[in-house]
Amino acid sequence: MGSDAFEIAINLVKMIVIFLLMVQLVPLLVWIERRGSAFIQNRFGPNRVGPLGLTQLLADAVKFIFKEEFIPSRSRKFLFYAAPVMSLIPGALAFGSIPLSLPINVEAFEMFGQTWGPYRFAFQSFEIGVGIVFVLGISSLGAYGMLTAGWASVNKYSIFGALRASAQMISYELALGLSLVGIILIYGTFDFSVMISEQTGPLSFMWFGSEVVIPFLPNWGIFYQPLGALLLFITMFAETNRAPFDLPEAEAELVAGYHTEYGGLKMNMFYIGEYGHMMVASALMTTFYFGGYHLPFVDPDTVNTALMYNGYSATMASVLTALTFHLVFFAKLFLFLWIFIWVRWTLPRFRYDQLMDLGWKKLLPWALANTMVTAVVVFLMRSWS
Amino acid sequence: MLTSGLLFYILAAAIVLFAIAVVMSSNPIYSALYLALTMVTLAFMFFMLNAPFIAGVQLIVYAGAVVVLFTMVMMLFDLKKEQEAFARGKFTGFIKIASAGWLCGLIAGAVYMSSEMIVSGSKAVSENTATTKNLAIELFTNYILAFEALGILLLLIAVGAVSISRIKGGTHA
Amino acid sequence: MTSLVAILILALFVVAFGAGLLFLVSLVGPKPKYSSLKDSTYECGLPVQETGHSKIPVKFYLTAILFILFDIEIIFMYPWAVSFTEFIEQGMGLHVLLSMGFFLFVFIFGLVWEIKSRALEWN
Repeated sequence: MGSDAFEIAINLVKMIVIFLLMVQLVPLLVWIERRGSAFIQNRFGPNRVGPLGLTQLLADAVKFIFKEEFIPSRSRKFLFYAAPVMSLIPGALAFGSIPLSLPINVEAFEMFGQTWGPYRFAFQSFEIGVGIVFVLGISSLGAYGMLTAGWASVNKYSIFGALRASAQMISYELALGLSLVGIILIYGTFDFSVMISEQTGPLSFMWFGSEVVIPFLPNWGIFYQPLGALLLFITMFAETNRAPFDLPEAEAELVAGYHTEYGGLKMNMFYIGEYGHMMVASALMTTFYFGGYHLPFVDPDTVNTALMYNGYSATMASVLTALTFHLVFFAKLFLFLWIFIWVRWTLPRFRYDQLMDLGWKKLLPWALANTMVTAVVVFLMRSWS
Repeated sequence: MLTSGLLFYILAAAIVLFAIAVVMSSNPIYSALYLALTMVTLAFMFFMLNAPFIAGVQLIVYAGAVVVLFTMVMMLFDLKKEQEAFARGKFTGFIKIASAGWLCGLIAGAVYMSSEMIVSGSKAVSENTATTKNLAIELFTNYILAFEALGILLLLIAVGAVSISRIKGGTHA
Repeated sequence: MTSLVAILILALFVVAFGAGLLFLVSLVGPKPKYSSLKDSTYECGLPVQETGHSKIPVKFYLTAILFILFDIEIIFMYPWAVSFTEFIEQGMGLHVLLSMGFFLFVFIFGLVWEIKSRALEWN
């Protein structure tokens, strides 16, 4: 966690702030979703409470808190309460491992009559070298929250919803894992930070021994792995159980799926889990294929020196640079989150056999083809010279 | 190194406690959930021992796939009768004694073998991806035959599973 | 090592956050008044008939087992993918590519066989 009290304290605070940031984004996203769906369907949406209906979020939060706590008498009490909490964990841990901005460099300074050495704080909850494998592993634990919720409710809709949700999750996890092999082949690392730093500058690659530079395009992963990016994005919809893959919550057949019996804050926690999963998916898309927190053609060092030239101290300049690129990251993140919402209100739901066919018979073979083509191309281009 | 030692004992104690809970809980669902906890803690243990890729594999394959399958199966069957059948009886008693004996043998063997391993020394590897790359080098040089055989073995298992699912007349077909 | 401590602390914090929130809400909200109708399982308003357990198609287990098998094969591609460029630099590229090619061939053979044998049909 750190070598002295200051570093440990900052790291702990940072971890909790990033988690709370994730939780706090959920009501905002719910508002965007409600307003966005209203816009798409030519309605108004929540527009009465506060400007643009924004304080609707607060009203909703108050309502969640003051709801009556009732649970069905036949349910398994402990697991019924444990399931919402379980569904929070995967999203929070996975989001914590993704770098949200440049690391902050703090110069040595004096405090309490003591010198506190130079520090480097990563803009993420924890740095982990095998980021991709860790995120895949942690998100595969999401099935437990749903299964537990379904079983603890003792309701046929809940158990069928949980069953469908977990079968769907595991079917698409294959295509998800395989679509990432291409990008790992190209960058040769599991580390998110290394992957992002590879995506700076203009698009440049080796083409049969000669270097090709395309100055007007950024060096993003999407240009190397267009099919991989598309496959990842589709499978992410299925992994988050969002429309058009929201069969576990198909209201005409299953009422509300695994959270039929839930209400109030417990229901809200499932929402936080789902939106957390969406944020992780969007952050992964950004990190792998759209240059992470980098702004195309803008070197972070230039920003840093420009700030220092304008009279900021080295520490302050580093903090400001990190915050600037954090905003860039969030702009990209929100773009993908908006696509998630947009698709939900545009496409109709799949039938279950169509869903399984898409996962096993279309996405998986395409991901395999993507892997093989990438491997052969990487081999040819690297061994040409 | 004090913290790492402390962390090791905390994780080890958690693993043993969860594993005992798997065996002791009478409800198979709770057993499956404790098994999932055991697997997750074991993944953290691998992570602590500088094998982060193996930790990730432990999470993806065991905690995220195998135990999910167990949990799914347990939750969908009403295991009241089976629970009673396995609670007592001569055959069950024999299995209990046999597995207890087997466990003791395993522990004795592990202690006996680890005393030799400590003397031979363990290689400490610090880089995270370095271990994964070492793993790949081992996999594609020394263990290449085993690796290809594993692919065929997995294919055979898939064929077997599909064939078994075809059998009609089962209780849950 | 240090990130492991961070992961464990974050996981504990999330659990404490969720459990604490649930506990606080149970203190604040109105006390539930019990009635047999309200506490019964929701089955679209009709009297409860099912026990919550019924027979499940074997298809779900088959899918799960096939998933585990393919998942293991995909996991083996990760160390290959992450060190492929280094293999090429060491001149072992073709050897590794062909080894993986055979592995992928078995993978594709299995997938095609399962599709042909209608093990993945859902209608």
